[in-house]
Amino acid sequence: MLHDLAPQLFNGLVLGAFYAIVALGLSLIMNLTGTINMAHGSFMTLAGYLAYSLVLRGTSFWFALLAAPLIAVMVGVAVERTLVRPLYRREPFYSLLMTFGLSLIAEEAFRLIWGANGVPFSPPAALAGTVSLGFMSFPVFRIFIAVVLIIAIAALAFFLTRTRYGLRLRAAVQDTEMIAALGTNTQVLYAVNFGLGIFLAGIAGVLAAAMLGLSSTSGNALLMPAFVTVIIGGMGSLFGSVIGGLLIGLTISMTTLFIPAASEVSMYILMAIVLMVRPRGLFGEEGIFG
Amino acid sequence: MTQGREIAVFAIALVVLAFGPLICPLIQLDITILSEVLVTTLAVLSVNLLLGYTGLPAFGNAAYFGLGAYGAALSVTYLHVNFEFAVLVGAAAAVAGGLLLGPFLLRRRGIYFGLLSIAFGQVFYFIAYRYTDVTGGEDGMNFPRPSLGPGFAHISIKEVQFYYIALIVFAVAMVAFRAVVRSPFGRTLVAIRQNEVRVRYLGLDTDRFIFVALLISALMAGVSGALFGLLINFAYPLILDWHQSGNFVLMMILGGAGTIWGSLVGALIYVIGKDIISTITPLWQIFLGAVFVACVLGFPRGIVGSIGALVRRRAVSEDVSANEAFDANAPIEVGRGV
Amino acid sequence: MTRRSINRRTFVTLAGAGTAAAFGIPAYLPRIGEAADTIKIGLVEPYTGTYAALAENETRGYEMAVDAWNKRGGVMGRKIELVKEDVQADPGVGAQKARKLVDQDKVVALAGTVSSAVSLSIGGVSNSLGTLFMDSGGHSDAVTGASCHWNVFRTCHSTWMETHATGNFLAKRFGKKWYLITPDYAFGHALEEGFKDVLGKIGGQIVGDALTPLGTTDFSSYLTKIDAVKPDAIIVLVQGEDYTNCLKQMAQFGLLKKYPVGGPQVELEPVLSLPPAARGGYWGVEWYYKSELTLGKNNKQAQQFVADTIKRYGQPPTARNCFGYVTGDRLIATMAEAKTTDSTKLARAIEGTRFTSIFNGSAYYRKEDHQLMWPMWIGKITEEGAGGDKFNLFDILDTEPADAIEQSVAEKEKVCKLGYP
Repeated sequence: MLHDLAPQLFNGLVLGAFYAIVALGLSLIMNLTGTINMAHGSFMTLAGYLAYSLVLRGTSFWFALLAAPLIAVMVGVAVERTLVRPLYRREPFYSLLMTFGLSLIAEEAFRLIWGANGVPFSPPAALAGTVSLGFMSFPVFRIFIAVVLIIAIAALAFFLTRTRYGLRLRAAVQDTEMIAALGTNTQVLYAVNFGLGIFLAGIAGVLAAAMLGLSSTSGNALLMPAFVTVIIGGMGSLFGSVIGGLLIGLTISMTTLFIPAASEVSMYILMAIVLMVRPRGLFGEEGIFG
Repeated sequence: MTQGREIAVFAIALVVLAFGPLICPLIQLDITILSEVLVTTLAVLSVNLLLGYTGLPAFGNAAYFGLGAYGAALSVTYLHVNFEFAVLVGAAAAVAGGLLLGPFLLRRRGIYFGLLSIAFGQVFYFIAYRYTDVTGGEDGMNFPRPSLGPGFAHISIKEVQFYYIALIVFAVAMVAFRAVVRSPFGRTLVAIRQNEVRVRYLGLDTDRFIFVALLISALMAGVSGALFGLLINFAYPLILDWHQSGNFVLMMILGGAGTIWGSLVGALIYVIGKDIISTITPLWQIFLGAVFVACVLGFPRGIVGSIGALVRRRAVSEDVSANEAFDANAPIEVGRGV
Repeated sequence: MTRRSINRRTFVTLAGAGTAAAFGIPAYLPRIGEAADTIKIGLVEPYTGTYAALAENETRGYEMAVDAWNKRGGVMGRKIELVKEDVQADPGVGAQKARKLVDQDKVVALAGTVSSAVSLSIGGVSNSLGTLFMDSGGHSDAVTGASCHWNVFRTCHSTWMETHATGNFLAKRFGKKWYLITPDYAFGHALEEGFKDVLGKIGGQIVGDALTPLGTTDFSSYLTKIDAVKPDAIIVLVQGEDYTNCLKQMAQFGLLKKYPVGGPQVELEPVLSLPPAARGGYWGVEWYYKSELTLGKNNKQAQQFVADTIKRYGQPPTARNCFGYVTGDRLIATMAEAKTTDSTKLARAIEGTRFTSIFNGSAYYRKEDHQLMWPMWIGKITEEGAGGDKFNLFDILDTEPADAIEQSVAEKEKVCKLGYP
């Protein structure tokens, strides 16, 4: 049993890293404006499809990994300006509904553009294959995902703590009116924040498309775990999203080891427990959502 | 609206609906789809009570709907009960679900309430999917439609009779719903929506009010689910999924949250609209999504709500509609929740 | 902050008028393109959702059959027309659409589906309406088992046939110690039971059974367990998108190269969405467009069908096209032969009648349970399309005759009561 444990633990952490990237994007968008983005999965799928199309036209995987999320960001910023912004003054419930509707449109649009069947997309040859870790053979690509996450977190942390704009963003989360009064263009701020969240979604989307399958309904499967991660990690805390993601990854892999039937439900149960015992989540801030 | 006018509207609506079986062939609609509208209205009413009037994001009502359907399905299959009993069992199952989940849901408000509802709903969904031996799993459960029981002369229920049964249940539900929301209890719910802290300061135990509202909501959703299962003679896990809850919420928004007739209007537009559009084009999902988005952005009061607002601009009325609370441009108060 | 130029009142009035118009639509918009005196067949398929690609291909098969018959003058002097409805893989919607097709569009028969749940729901509704229903694509045993009806026929192979076609082959080829990856719901369990039955008869053993719950996108937790038990073969029971996910991940974990892989059934559509590195293994195949074993030697009808499909749709037919074509062709042919559109008479005429079609040999819908008795094949997935044809990904190795792989009449009669009126 013990030598089953090590692979599952390691696998769970890497899986958790993936959920963490998705949750981070979601959390960023939620923290500043209270927007609950049910279309986050759709943006992920969009980036995946864009990467697929780019690679099909001959670009390298690496180029697509950066370009596809950027294109998704452009779409995201357009969406933010036209559809999301009018809802900022309203309760979060409205953004949830509106983005839900958006995800329905997106799914059908994907079907129209890229066809109803899934499309083949895989990691580049350099990242294919496994590496021997002693206690198990592990896919190189998953290690790559973990590396990407570390880079993403480091970059985000740097941006938020060391750059002036990042500072303004954090200030805006605490008090948007004040930061506006002090002269920051909040409209641009909203767009940048949303764009940042979508960028993370895009990266996660390309990685997911390579690791899992890619079809018009791909986004749905990853949306719920992302929300659960944000809840557990704590609304209002980016650090919480990372920890939450790792926790979910570990939970799923551990329950798979001991009670496989419960592994997908386990995260909902965990969420329910956290919501009842400590609704702001592990690292969340009190009072954000009542 | 004055009471007299309300009764008149209600009576006219019932009369029009009573002619359903005659109208339907003229507009190339099957009577069963009208039955589906009436049955679904009950589920929308259940969401309306919690979300429209009390302000709690009821995103998990599909759980009660599904419990109702499976309750009916299981009781007919294994206990061979008659029609009324099947509906009763379904309703009881849903209320039991409400009793079970209530204490947990009560502890939170706002979006957390919504997320907890979804989470619990998903647990029921997984159970229905997994316990194939009992529920048939993802293949669903086929079950025959029993006839009416001894009190009603064992009439077997064809589609037209089903429609009239649904109509009667709908009428009763509407009367009951109106009674609830116009009562002091109902007004307290609206007050809770506007500012729960204030209500508590007035000495009322808001938890108790919400719990009762939850049970009423579960009951209505359960009856709706049982009737739905009996309508299509089938129960399947998808009706427990959170997308189903989302559909009910959409219908409520379309028709008008916090209004009495909004639920019927919303169900009517959604069920019939979806049927028509999906026949014309496989791109119906884009239309549905677009309606959602347009509704939320420009139309948050829904149809009945907007008409009500128009009417109110002409006449001064002391009766503050719960729909008022859905003023889209009101600033968000801290701690207010959804 | 009002940026909107339309004022609210106008908006509401317009919307109100629009809704009223929308309701009137069914009254003044006769279904587009419907001619008066055609024989209508109601096609119920999931055109939206995860099965959309399969639904599209099944529909194409039906269309080819209908067109072929219409070119020959139709049936009894009338043309055939397909009336399509999207059942959205939702049994409730399926029931509603089935009713609409029979009551409003006056179809003489219903046909189609991919999802077994929808098959079962439509089976029930069609039975209460007394209308024929040809299930071309729903595989659950119950359709020709406990939930069989006199008016329901099934073309594709049953779950039992799938496991019994592949089980013996896989055991003989690789060994009898298997590791199963099973989707943890009814369908997966049915496959599991089937394989257990096969293994029981040949003394095999399931050394590991990964029950993957609903919604599993990540199989890594299950795949990491496999090395510990060292099975003779990994048997993958998951289908559709899960299948694609699973195989991709198995390739990433290096398992495809390490262990033989196989499973009860695979369709060309999901295989096409697999990257080359993830293609491999031995699987049950219900029909294939480029093999003498599946099409037969010099089967003109089959060759014509394949050529016509490529010409018309730009890609070769899959098993789904085959289901649609065989079902549609058989249904219309029976109408022509029996000179009737009455469901009861058609049912009696279809059952037991042998016919040849676009596959090797002859087949018949069994009288006792209405299952089409035709062979299944075993195919190996190749990484690249052979002979420069990017679709040619299967290498068909073996034929499994129907009688050897489906439950016997005696066993079926225990659970299936057709209930003719």
